Amino acid sequence: MGVPGMNNTPQRLRVLFSKDGNLRFIGHLDLQRLFERALRRSGLPMRYSQGFNPKVRLNLACALPLGFSSDCELMDFWLEGQSDLDSVNQKLTQALPKELRVLGVEEVPNNLPSLQSSTLSCEYEIRFPSQYSGEELETHLQSLLQQEHLVVARKKKSVDIRELLQDWGWEKRPEGTVLRLVLNATPEATGRPDEWITLMGIDFAECSIHRSRLILSSPTVKEGKND
Amino acid sequence: MTQIDINSTELQKILYHVEKPGRYVGGEHNQVTKDWDSVETHVALVFPDIYDLGVPNLGLAILYDILNKRPDVLAERAFAPWVDMEAQLREKHIPLFSLETKRPLGEFDIVGFTLPYESIYTNVLNILDLSGIPARSRERGTRDPLVIAGGQACFNPEPMANFIDAFVIGEGEEVILEVVAAHQAWRATGAGRDELLRSLSQIEGVYVPALYCIEYNQDGTIKLVNPIDESVPSRVTKRIMPVLPPPITDFIVPNVEIVHDRIAIEIMRGCTRGCRFCHAGMVNRPVRERSSQEITDAIAKGLASTGYEQVGLLSLSSSDHTRILELTQAVYERFHDTRVAVSLPSLRIASFSVDLMEQLQDLKPSGGFTFAPEAATERLRAVINKPLDEDVFYETVRKVFEHGWLSLKLYFMIGLPTETMEDVEAILEVGRKVQQIGKQVKGNRIRVHLGVGTFIPKPHTPFQWHPVDSMDTIQEKLDFLKAGTRKLGIKLSYNIPSSTMLEAWLSRGDKRLGEVIHSAWQNGAKFDAWNERFDERAWLTAFETQSLSPNFYAFRQKSEDEVLPWDHIGIGVTKSFLLRDLHWSQEGKTRPDCRTRCFYCGILDNFEDIRPSVEEAYWGCPE
Repeated sequence: MGVPGMNNTPQRLRVLFSKDGNLRFIGHLDLQRLFERALRRSGLPMRYSQGFNPKVRLNLACALPLGFSSDCELMDFWLEGQSDLDSVNQKLTQALPKELRVLGVEEVPNNLPSLQSSTLSCEYEIRFPSQYSGEELETHLQSLLQQEHLVVARKKKSVDIRELLQDWGWEKRPEGTVLRLVLNATPEATGRPDEWITLMGIDFAECSIHRSRLILSSPTVKEGKND
Repeated sequence: MTQIDINSTELQKILYHVEKPGRYVGGEHNQVTKDWDSVETHVALVFPDIYDLGVPNLGLAILYDILNKRPDVLAERAFAPWVDMEAQLREKHIPLFSLETKRPLGEFDIVGFTLPYESIYTNVLNILDLSGIPARSRERGTRDPLVIAGGQACFNPEPMANFIDAFVIGEGEEVILEVVAAHQAWRATGAGRDELLRSLSQIEGVYVPALYCIEYNQDGTIKLVNPIDESVPSRVTKRIMPVLPPPITDFIVPNVEIVHDRIAIEIMRGCTRGCRFCHAGMVNRPVRERSSQEITDAIAKGLASTGYEQVGLLSLSSSDHTRILELTQAVYERFHDTRVAVSLPSLRIASFSVDLMEQLQDLKPSGGFTFAPEAATERLRAVINKPLDEDVFYETVRKVFEHGWLSLKLYFMIGLPTETMEDVEAILEVGRKVQQIGKQVKGNRIRVHLGVGTFIPKPHTPFQWHPVDSMDTIQEKLDFLKAGTRKLGIKLSYNIPSSTMLEAWLSRGDKRLGEVIHSAWQNGAKFDAWNERFDERAWLTAFETQSLSPNFYAFRQKSEDEVLPWDHIGIGVTKSFLLRDLHWSQEGKTRPDCRTRCFYCGILDNFEDIRPSVEEAYWGCPE
């Protein structure tokens, strides 16, 4: 590794990755630290933040709640100089625990807005415990959808989560039928699928909740699952 | 019972509802997972407190590395579940399981606990209970795992002797494989559990308490400790590594935040200073060092393997490493452009120590400087054999502030033998002077912090015959320091006297204390090391139930010819040396660093035949 000049324009890379198994129970801040260390051991020429306590520069799109799996997570990070994407993919894959899988890496323009500020909404797929019949679930859901407002209490304020629902539908998947919810995911108004499940009268801890798509305002090739 | 499915709804439900579920799921970088059926021996390595405290334990990390390098063995980790997780496990009848393959601990062949300190003893019982393993060694059958323990607290194994089948005394790197070999050989014969225990007792450094009888005198002291027959050694002497093996570098990188989240490299083992209060200094002799080349290579490998941003260079007294200057230089040269922080704790009070930190330049961690004078008067420092020239001390303090550090922490002990209120007043006076120097140099920004521990005379030290200072006196001394530091604007931290007493009972206890520990656990005691969880009542009731007096263990002056509960455990240093050193202490006589000349503590007599040549490895003992 050479010593790249700090003033050169870094290479901004976007990685699409999945998170499942044990790693579902690792929170957002922990994930950030995990990536910092993974990048350090990858041997890639990381761009560090300036200042007294230089840190690996990275940026995760949108916090995935504890316990949810995903195959659409995005993270931006910056390298000194220009690296070959395949080799970045390979080095990062090797450095990550196997329950965080790299699904794709691409270069994105440096002037693109941050992932956080460009995330608009998220799609989730919910698999319910088998004791609930399809009809039962549909009835529960319909009774909620018919309401104009669904106000739930969060830590600091009350939120009308009906407004945060953008789209929904039942989808057939190999392991059974899932409920697909597309929820707002802007910093001001983020929807949570577990709130919907709770309102349906079901313990969300008994469901499997998977994030399947991030919808960005400035879409890039690797957005969602078109890998 | 087989593997527990982490993806099962039942476990998932639990994990959603506990604090920091990442503690229980494993899956970290550098975790070793093997196919259960592909190996002959399955070992669970258990730290009996939560994950956050257990992951940085270097001893377990070393054993994990050694055992997993063997193709016929697997080692997996387990920790005490926090109270919320424990409640869930009990409610759902899920046994405590390992992190790697999520197997209940009861399914392992060997369950090994590390016992680095005494206040985690009740957690051991709790973990055995959560695993469905009978608490007492004698209650276990052929199908139960062999329960072993090692670590610094095991130099007095007696309080836990009813619960542990075999203790490893001293350093575990070699002996752990001998234990595994004995287990494999025993299993091949299909013999009973007694045969296993007997074969373990033949391994040097392994203590099997079930094979010893103890007789007591009328006054509760020990009359004699005898092996049950001639095949059992009458005394078990600790194991040491003649040459320190290469340090481990493939540290498990936790996914959740823990304490001491860093690479830890032991730069040397043992200490030649001979401070009389210091258990670690007595039980870890002789001094053995690693070369600066070996250390820097290990740092490089560790950083590449883990991606860590912090390195701790560990030892009992860093500035005493014979090549410490060369080491800090080499560390700086090799790592100054890697953006890591390197900490070098346990520095002696000498101007040289500030130079060492300065040499690390931008590698030195942010934060303050720490020194441990331990006692504040020259007289008392002579008693404890930690002499310090006051001029040197204040010069060093000045230098610390002059070189830009703004905070200085000083460690002292109260309750030392012969201590008077004058000695305690002197602690405040030192604090005041240090604060004054700091203000002269750097103005009001500086912070002085006094850490005050209560002294407990520990087994295998020259003070082992001493009683613990009385609770009233300790409280009086603490109250005095609290008031004084408040006035001066100095931060004070200290131990709660009641939890100090627990440490005193357990560290100085005999075999009868086992049932007190068991009763205390039944009364709800666990996580005793956590101040907010410590339940003194549970312990006092347990003593009553067992008709034993806590004061017998804490406040009794022992006679010099008394049989001590740990006399049949040899640390290499002889009892007669400790007694001679006690007498020197009573005369106010200091004993010089034994690197300069040998005082025949017993180490060389015990380990002469395995001492390596000078070319091979450095030992702190004179030739």
